[in-house]
Amino acid sequence: MDGVRLQISNLHSGYATPDRGLVPTVDGVDLALNRNEFVSIIGPSGCGKSTLFNVIAGLLSPTSGEVALDGKAIVGRPGHVAYMMQRDLLLPWRTILDNVVLGPELAGKPMEAARNRAAALLRRFGLEGYENSYPSSLSGGMRQRAALLRTILCDRSVVLLDEPFGALDALTRATMHEWLLGIQREFQQTMILITHDPDEAIYLSDRVYVATPRPMRFAGIVPIELPYDRGRDVTMTPQFADHKRQVLALLRGDKGALDALH
Amino acid sequence: MTAQKSRNASLLSHLGDAALPFGIVVALLATWEAAVHLLKIQPFVLPAPTEIFKELLISGPTVILPQLHVTLIETLAGYLAAVIISAILSVLILYSSTFRRGVLPLIVASQTIPIITMAPVLVIWFGYNSLPRIIITAIVAFFPLTIAAVTGLKSLEPQFIDFFRSLNATPAQIFFKLRLPVALPSIFGGLKVAATLAVIGATISEWVGASQGIGYLIAQDTALLNTTRVFASLTVLGVAGMALFGLVGLIERLSMPWIYARPSMAWLRASQNPRAPAAAVARPRQ
Repeated sequence: MDGVRLQISNLHSGYATPDRGLVPTVDGVDLALNRNEFVSIIGPSGCGKSTLFNVIAGLLSPTSGEVALDGKAIVGRPGHVAYMMQRDLLLPWRTILDNVVLGPELAGKPMEAARNRAAALLRRFGLEGYENSYPSSLSGGMRQRAALLRTILCDRSVVLLDEPFGALDALTRATMHEWLLGIQREFQQTMILITHDPDEAIYLSDRVYVATPRPMRFAGIVPIELPYDRGRDVTMTPQFADHKRQVLALLRGDKGALDALH
Repeated sequence: MTAQKSRNASLLSHLGDAALPFGIVVALLATWEAAVHLLKIQPFVLPAPTEIFKELLISGPTVILPQLHVTLIETLAGYLAAVIISAILSVLILYSSTFRRGVLPLIVASQTIPIITMAPVLVIWFGYNSLPRIIITAIVAFFPLTIAAVTGLKSLEPQFIDFFRSLNATPAQIFFKLRLPVALPSIFGGLKVAATLAVIGATISEWVGASQGIGYLIAQDTALLNTTRVFASLTVLGVAGMALFGLVGLIERLSMPWIYARPSMAWLRASQNPRAPAAAVARPRQ
């Protein structure tokens, strides 16, 4: 543990309505993320997970609570974390190479260096030969890999992934999981993933936060005790099945689930 | 090999596309020619296409083209003015709610006035020169352009703005790197409509209060029952209008390669490139 990267303390968020007053969407969330860790937040659809990400990304101001990155408060200040949204949001008028260097470009960094670095990474992201293609000629999986490369080239210390594989078919998704884990290890990324797929959460994560339906809080945290270097086979182990049972029990709202299993 | 074949095929289909309207035009002209001769229609009522063609050869270079030159300058000046006015207006409409609520309804209301009827008044105000006609051309052309630009600039999905904001993009970056490219197809739609309207605006404004221009020539020839030359002038005007439209279309194609680049091109390149063999071609399946 070389220090906490992201610290979220007692975060509350909500929106004002004329008749019901303040409707809470996030109701007291605490989360600590260490350097190079991968954690997942799993919960039912519409539970406020995306609200939480918008707060961390600085796009939305919370009602109360703190978000600190490397010890500095970043509430309401965008640009400190890299945010990969559900859709790939590649710009159709830019070639793949021009798309992936958007982060450095908007930050006013030297473009020559950024383009060289991106070009060197295209092969690792399965995009070699497509640097001058437009996104419309790429498959769904390739587009998501391009979006992830763009996210990583933003050079932020924390990466938020909001259901990045939600729109892909099951086979492609499984391949993408293995590949993403490889990328996270190789590039030493600190990542938070939002998902509603227990297998995806367990396979990828060091810890899984299970969220309750709206307003969102954490029903429990499941530490994943799978080997650091894990292949696809790990999903067949009893250990994996145990974790899945824990996660599903927490999702169902069974409060004693964690204690019963330990 | 495959690329060559498909290129030839697409060239053929393009020729096929052009053959049909061309055939229809030839058939129509033939019917017209036959009708004029068989029914013995007087040339001042309806001249035969061959007569119009002869007239084109006789008075085209000496009479019509110099007048077209005047009209084209008015058209282009008015068009350019319309583009500049639209750019300013659409940005104001986009970013100022006061402007949107206060001035936009007035602009819309102004479009219900038949602008052409203002031509004599504009001559009184600005004199017996090109300026009143340039103003009318600009007024006729700016409105559809502004509406198209505003529609395009507003068509951006909010998720893209959130994404840019998460990267700490400035409002100028959001406009130039996001809103403007998204709006381009719509803007070019407006530019094409405005191009045809500009030609019409310039020509019609010459009917009233002008001493030159192709519209003036048409008005004079109509009064003298020189119908053959009227049709010859209209032919020249039609070609000029299509050329302007085509020019805007060409600029459109060049400005938006991501729309006009064929999606299959990446695959062809990958399969032809010896340094990116099977792997690059096989990869996109996932």
